[in-house]
Amino acid sequence: MLTTKRSLGLLSCLVCVLSLSLLFLCAGPSQAAGIGKDGTIAAVKGKATTLDELIAMYDSSSCYGCHGDKHEEWSQSVHSRSVYGTGRTAATFRTAFINGFMDWAYSGVESPEDVEVEHLMGCAKCHLPQLADATDAVAKELVATVFDWMDAYQNDDMETFEKHQETLLELNINCLVCHNRMAITHKWTDGYPQDDTVYGYSEGFHPDDHFTEMKVSPIMDASILCGQCHGLGPNLELDNPTQCATAYGSYLWSYIANGGDKTCQQCHMQESGLGHNIQSYRSQTMADKAIDWKVKVRPMVWRDARTVHPKVMIDVALTNNAGHGIPDG
Amino acid sequence: MPVPQKFARGNEMGRGPYEKSGMVADTALHPLKTAKEHFEIVLDADDDVEERILDLKVQLWYLPYGNMNSDPFLWKEYTEIVTIKL
Repeated sequence: MLTTKRSLGLLSCLVCVLSLSLLFLCAGPSQAAGIGKDGTIAAVKGKATTLDELIAMYDSSSCYGCHGDKHEEWSQSVHSRSVYGTGRTAATFRTAFINGFMDWAYSGVESPEDVEVEHLMGCAKCHLPQLADATDAVAKELVATVFDWMDAYQNDDMETFEKHQETLLELNINCLVCHNRMAITHKWTDGYPQDDTVYGYSEGFHPDDHFTEMKVSPIMDASILCGQCHGLGPNLELDNPTQCATAYGSYLWSYIANGGDKTCQQCHMQESGLGHNIQSYRSQTMADKAIDWKVKVRPMVWRDARTVHPKVMIDVALTNNAGHGIPDG
Repeated sequence: MPVPQKFARGNEMGRGPYEKSGMVADTALHPLKTAKEHFEIVLDADDDVEERILDLKVQLWYLPYGNMNSDPFLWKEYTEIVTIKL
């Protein structure tokens, strides 16, 4: 009997040790991922399961009451229509789907029902980074919306077209994307962006029902804030790398390397006077600012044996004042 | 402009962002650098005139999709009336 009791006691201890080991194994990865990660918008609200939920998750409409001027500026920028663009951007989602995922042997996508968030992140990394906070059902819904929007246009069904257009326009790079989700790049150093906080240049109370805290983003005036999307080149972290913008790579290895010392924000927001209406070459202000050009014309008389030709020689000098190659994205 | 490489191999240009990785070439204007272009235009000879007047226009176009049919952007324009005495 004693032997049996001792065995049971040892067995109990062993079970306890195993249980604790399992507990540590379970707890380990989430702790290793970073302290405060459970306080992010996505963690607190849970992954969005519909496009409407994703739009609501990053709804910035409560900002407009006090920051109406910034909202007005932003609404003129492409950031306010980062998925839709002029319509061409949204159409390119479809092209990427048909000419890309569906055409590639190993993507696992044969029809729109097969698409997952991971497939769309090649585009969404920059056009809709918050898609990473949604389930695969949202990826399928986004693809279906783009397809239905284009089909409606082709079928001259303007009511359906406008309904989907409105949804696509609500998917954008808004206040919360830059002033919360993307406001901290070095999360183990500076902490994870928290669900109740907006990040900018100040600390303290923020008069909002939900976003009650203001904190300093250490990168709000740094080029890396923009560089997160206006990228380095191939997005090698993806299973099938994509490449859109290379502006931040050009900024680092060409502009800075040649002695440049301004930030993206200095040129595009401050010196331009455009503020949150962040623009590129389609803005006359930015186009004029970006390139100095000098044209020198020299007329002469060209002699081709006995034949005299009027001739003009033209020298053009183009100096790129921008912090990145032109063109770039 | 940056000429993106299709799937980061060979010398074929990629067009859609989903197939672009790397670059085949880059003829962009690079930051803080001055690029120079030189053009020479020879006009037809005409023995009967002593002076030719040329309405010269120099334009800098950005062609986002590589041709004038798809969303071209006129970045700069210079005009000058040039007189050539023969």
